[in-house]
Amino acid sequence: MEPTRLNGWQALRSQPWLLALVGWLPPLLALLFIAVFETGTPRSLPVGVVDLDHTSESRSLQRYLDASPALDMLHPYPSASEGAEALQRGEVLALLIIPRNFGRDLRLSLSPEAVAFYNSQYLLAGKFISSALTQSSMSFAAEAGVVLRLGQGYALPQAVAAAAPVRPQITSLYNAGMSYARFLVTTITPALWQIVIVVATLLTLCWRLEKAPLPTTFSARSVSLWQLLTPISLLLWLQGVILLGMFYYFLGWSPEGSVAWLMVGMALMVIAVQSMATLILATVANKIRALSLCAAYLAPAFAFMGITFPRGDMNILARTWGNLMPSTHYIELQVAVADHGAPLATLLPPLLILLLFLLPLPFAIHALPKQLNINPAEQVSS
Amino acid sequence: MNAWQRCWQAWQVEIANIFADRAVLLVIVGGLLFYAVLYPLPYHKSVPGEQAVAVVNHDHTHLARQLIRMADAAPQIRVAAQPSSMAEAEALLASDAVHGLLIIPSGFERDIYLGRPTSLSFAGDASYFLIYGNVVEGLLTAATTLSVQTQLVGSLMKGESPAQIPGQIMPMRLITKPAFNPTSGYINYIVPAVFVLILHQTLLIAAGSVTIKDRARRRLGQTAPSLALALPLRLFTFLLIYLLFAMLYFGFFFQLYGVPHAAAPSELLAFSVLFFISATLFAIWLGYLLPRPEQPTVLVLLSSLPIVFTAGFAWPAESLPKWLDILTLLIPVKPGIQGFLAMNQMGAPLLSIGREISVLIGLCILYGGWLCWLAWHQRKQSHC
Repeated sequence: MEPTRLNGWQALRSQPWLLALVGWLPPLLALLFIAVFETGTPRSLPVGVVDLDHTSESRSLQRYLDASPALDMLHPYPSASEGAEALQRGEVLALLIIPRNFGRDLRLSLSPEAVAFYNSQYLLAGKFISSALTQSSMSFAAEAGVVLRLGQGYALPQAVAAAAPVRPQITSLYNAGMSYARFLVTTITPALWQIVIVVATLLTLCWRLEKAPLPTTFSARSVSLWQLLTPISLLLWLQGVILLGMFYYFLGWSPEGSVAWLMVGMALMVIAVQSMATLILATVANKIRALSLCAAYLAPAFAFMGITFPRGDMNILARTWGNLMPSTHYIELQVAVADHGAPLATLLPPLLILLLFLLPLPFAIHALPKQLNINPAEQVSS
Repeated sequence: MNAWQRCWQAWQVEIANIFADRAVLLVIVGGLLFYAVLYPLPYHKSVPGEQAVAVVNHDHTHLARQLIRMADAAPQIRVAAQPSSMAEAEALLASDAVHGLLIIPSGFERDIYLGRPTSLSFAGDASYFLIYGNVVEGLLTAATTLSVQTQLVGSLMKGESPAQIPGQIMPMRLITKPAFNPTSGYINYIVPAVFVLILHQTLLIAAGSVTIKDRARRRLGQTAPSLALALPLRLFTFLLIYLLFAMLYFGFFFQLYGVPHAAAPSELLAFSVLFFISATLFAIWLGYLLPRPEQPTVLVLLSSLPIVFTAGFAWPAESLPKWLDILTLLIPVKPGIQGFLAMNQMGAPLLSIGREISVLIGLCILYGGWLCWLAWHQRKQSHC
């Protein structure tokens, strides 16, 4: 094939895998994540109940808790040991034990205590279930308190005020419905997109180096790689913008700040990751080993972004590794633009850091192997 | 040549296919050691520290100051700023200087002492969920403590019977206690599940690409042991290698990171054998599906995040759409993670996790059966 025809469009035409990567696969995976978190918040989490009291009070507590959309209390166990085994097997995610004399103590105003063990091995579900149990039981207690006071001869408004003197109003900033879908899909997807960028770039570069040798001079190499990668980069960037559109359409995500900054950030992220992919291939000069290195480098990116576990609480080594990944800086930009509506002064540092990833690019272009050989003993189809 | 010699020779070929391949060795040895260090790296502190919050105090009374001291004393938060206006507070939030906000309304103390219900407004930065949870928990603790105190003082001042006071302040209490991961630490939460994922994914890459290269050599007409011999030996070899790594992961590295583990060694070994057999069969099956040796790596890279969020530990499996929950059971890693966590972290005996065991056996039959059919088919072809 003539060298001039070895451009990115040709690479896309001859490799359906590559076309899938820069085309339909990432939006499909984003849809998968939207399906995973379709409920927004966890719902109907199974809670085992050991009712040792069997009074109308203990039953009414269970009904009260069951009314919470987060909880499904319909898992009765005859004894605490049987309930504990179900918790161990993962059959229920929490176990509520209502003690003997619960109803009597409640009527006598002795403040009885029920205990719920939640599975904190499944930390997110555990914490969620624990706070749902606490909140629902507090409102049950408040209602019970009003009834108690009415019984003691209070007037209704006084009884209500005395039962709950301080009322906390909790507002979740930047994510009003506290939807995990919005929170997680908008952060997992960029992490996955980054992997798509690195894989697509590597496959494209390898395709080119397998077809024909690269020119030797730096300028000729640059031109050749420019022709090769520009179409891929453009499609990947477009894909990023489509992903933002999907957040908007499916998740009701609407950025506080200007989307233009996110689009600039996405363009910088594409070329930053491409620069790193080129560097990796230049270092190992082998397709499979380069892919393995990319896996080691970028597969854990989501954990290092600081979205689930705060970056401020990571040690210096973890923060450094996180800083070496473009996604960390992109997500900082995305949170600043989309959630905080932050001023330009806050947006510039992540944008400039993404530019820094281009520094090794000239070296990488210079050091790329001239050609990669296809080993027929390694491919089932040519 | 007798059957044993043939078998021994075929095994030597299999071992050479694995250990003479630098790309495969890089994944099995380099990858498994590197990942065991890299993945737990962000969570070395395990629990997040105190998060900075700002308090906008419109009341300036003794009770308001007491509330601020209580908030500062809560282990989850520290009061980092007391801005004088909401605008100032919002600027602090936008610049990430604080992640939460407490607004004390004017007339707070007066309303409480007059017995009028007052509201306290909290806000947490929900862009970061763990931070949000801590901020809300800390502020709620402070507000509840203050509420109980004022109720207690009020009841005593009214001269109510002390015996009834506990019930009046808190008619009932529901105490929640964590089981299995008492510190609610992130290391104990993420590492045991992700370790299973790492073992599974590297196995897919290694056994998958070994299979693809083996197919390529057979296609070129190079001599190779018959599939009926090669496939069981490949399964056996990877099982041995991965049992060794499982010991390293579930033994040495769990010890190193202080991850509690409860399973009896014999039961853990039995479940590991079942898990690695089904994962290796799945990997070899993938090797027959894909034409190029780099494709298992691509597939693993793209599937890792979807697996993390459908395997049931990061996001409850009960909240997945039913079809997705069932579909993802076709990948051995999901029943594997759930079984290992139940046994090793939650202390369930082997026999109580029948569901995971039967799913893994089913997957062995599914992928193993397909490979048996393949070996039989090839034999028939070579005879005629």
